Amino acid sequence: MFTAPEGKRKSADKTMTLTEAFKLFINNGDSIAFSGMGGSQCVAHTYELIRLGYRGMTLFGDSPCEAGDMLIGAGVVNRIEVAWCAYAVAGLGHNYRRAVEESIPAKIEVKEYSNYTMGLRFLSGAMNLPFLPTKSLLGSDLPTYNPEIKEMECPYTGERLALVPAARPDVAVVHVSRADKRGNCQNLGFISNAENIGRAAKKTIVTCEELVSTDEIRRNANLTFLPEYCVDAVVEVPFASHPWNFPYAYAYDIPFHAQQMEAYRTREGFLNWLDEWCFAAGSWDGYLRKVGWDRLFKLQQVERRFTLSSI
Amino acid sequence: MVYATDYTLAELLVATAAREIKDGDVVFVGVGIPGLGAGLARLTHAPNMIMAMECGSIGSQAYRLVLGIGDNACVENAICNTSLWRLFSDQQRGYFDVGMVGGAQVDKYGNLNSTVIIDNRSYQQPKTRLPGSGGANDIASSARKTILMINMQARRFIEKVDYITSPGYLDGYDARERAGLPGGGPAAIITDKCIMRFCPVTKEAYVASVHPGVTIEEVKSLVSWNLKVSPDLQKTEPPTAEQVKITRTLDPEGIYLRGGLRNLTFDRYIEMLENSRDVLSKAFMKKLYNGSADRC
Repeated sequence: MFTAPEGKRKSADKTMTLTEAFKLFINNGDSIAFSGMGGSQCVAHTYELIRLGYRGMTLFGDSPCEAGDMLIGAGVVNRIEVAWCAYAVAGLGHNYRRAVEESIPAKIEVKEYSNYTMGLRFLSGAMNLPFLPTKSLLGSDLPTYNPEIKEMECPYTGERLALVPAARPDVAVVHVSRADKRGNCQNLGFISNAENIGRAAKKTIVTCEELVSTDEIRRNANLTFLPEYCVDAVVEVPFASHPWNFPYAYAYDIPFHAQQMEAYRTREGFLNWLDEWCFAAGSWDGYLRKVGWDRLFKLQQVERRFTLSSI
Repeated sequence: MVYATDYTLAELLVATAAREIKDGDVVFVGVGIPGLGAGLARLTHAPNMIMAMECGSIGSQAYRLVLGIGDNACVENAICNTSLWRLFSDQQRGYFDVGMVGGAQVDKYGNLNSTVIIDNRSYQQPKTRLPGSGGANDIASSARKTILMINMQARRFIEKVDYITSPGYLDGYDARERAGLPGGGPAAIITDKCIMRFCPVTKEAYVASVHPGVTIEEVKSLVSWNLKVSPDLQKTEPPTAEQVKITRTLDPEGIYLRGGLRNLTFDRYIEMLENSRDVLSKAFMKKLYNGSADRC
């Protein structure tokens, strides 16, 4: 069933803390989607959801890493609709594997799409249309095991098309390069699905590496991919993607990630990691302190050497 | 042209992947060996190649190893940063010449599985849950041609894959067209033992060349169907000395070439990035601007 988008908050200052934003806009059982693709992952947000003890959530994702594997391992998410879930070069999604293969910590329901078709599902949600057609998925086994993927003949040309339903998550969590207090969002790098996740969701929480003035937004309006009327809350969270990279901000901390993935090989190793890095650290600031400001500064500094050469 | 005398299997595979790319191609590329192949192509015979990465970055010119499909290296000196649906729509529109895909299982028609090893269990509770399609299904559906990269371990080259994640030629002949898939399908399978290509009529894979030191008997023993062999079987062209040198410059710590991530310390990693920036920026300047200090 489709309705016009619900109203989002209208305010000249939507800033708050991550904990406040989550408590205000996220409920147990909600469906949720995160920005990021092969980098720029929503890591701070994943830890916060786990710390606040959410349960029974559905994840809509393209290719989630922490936001897929860790939320499954921590028991936050029990349904996923995604294209892929692992940690790419750093390692496999051991929590995802344990959940599907052995129902540890619990059985999860999986509906599979591809990256493009998850992108189309978010676009469809952002367009307030019930579905979009594509030439992906045809002939493959994705429709075999996912009855939500339909096929049809084009009424104009007779071509075969696969159809994917709109994704309209209850909550979107979108991490961006910079935003103002009203929620105007700019990315200096790629957009991935952020523009459509932020539009399709009923509630949209934006976090930014850097909070800037509205004047600064107006100076480079071409960089804005999500205007304020899509956004409910704004939180400044520097280094929110660590150990992942964030364009024009910090390099990928792949040695850290490789070490973390070693721990995730066993259930015990993963739970110990959560105790130490999520619960004992107490907050994202606590996590960053534990990683060490020296290390974070080096990741930022080395990235600056690349961006200065390229601007 | 001087062939290298001292090279590893991984370096041979990088050069083989690079040779599938023509100058001016738009290439949908991932990380690892295929990514290194694309980087090598750009620094040798294909300076006008454009790399597309799933995050939405197009045409990067990175002075460092690409560590993810949304790494900052994908954004570095890019010609366009856009959204995911826009980039994949460009592919569906037919703008992408080559796509590189991998998987855990492949069959004789080049259908790939990177979703589940079912092995007498079910899709819902399989023996092995793999990461899934990601963008692989889309690349296999719409790229003008695809290059498959998969190692020839036992039970990987099988009569029928457990799950078709990325469509090849489906049941062969014109099955792909009948399914409505716009892209041209697989042009080659690059393995650690040989290169396979596809019969233009039946669309069945055959061995076109075996790598140096590999016998055709060994290749056939690793495939569960009666594998066809070209009557004009070749030996795979080894990498040139220049290709090996550049490949090692692209991945100085051997993260993809020799599993170097495991022992990589943070300090060594930062040092690698800083050195790469100096070495690769010079290599690109030399290739693209004939050593001129002027930046285009």
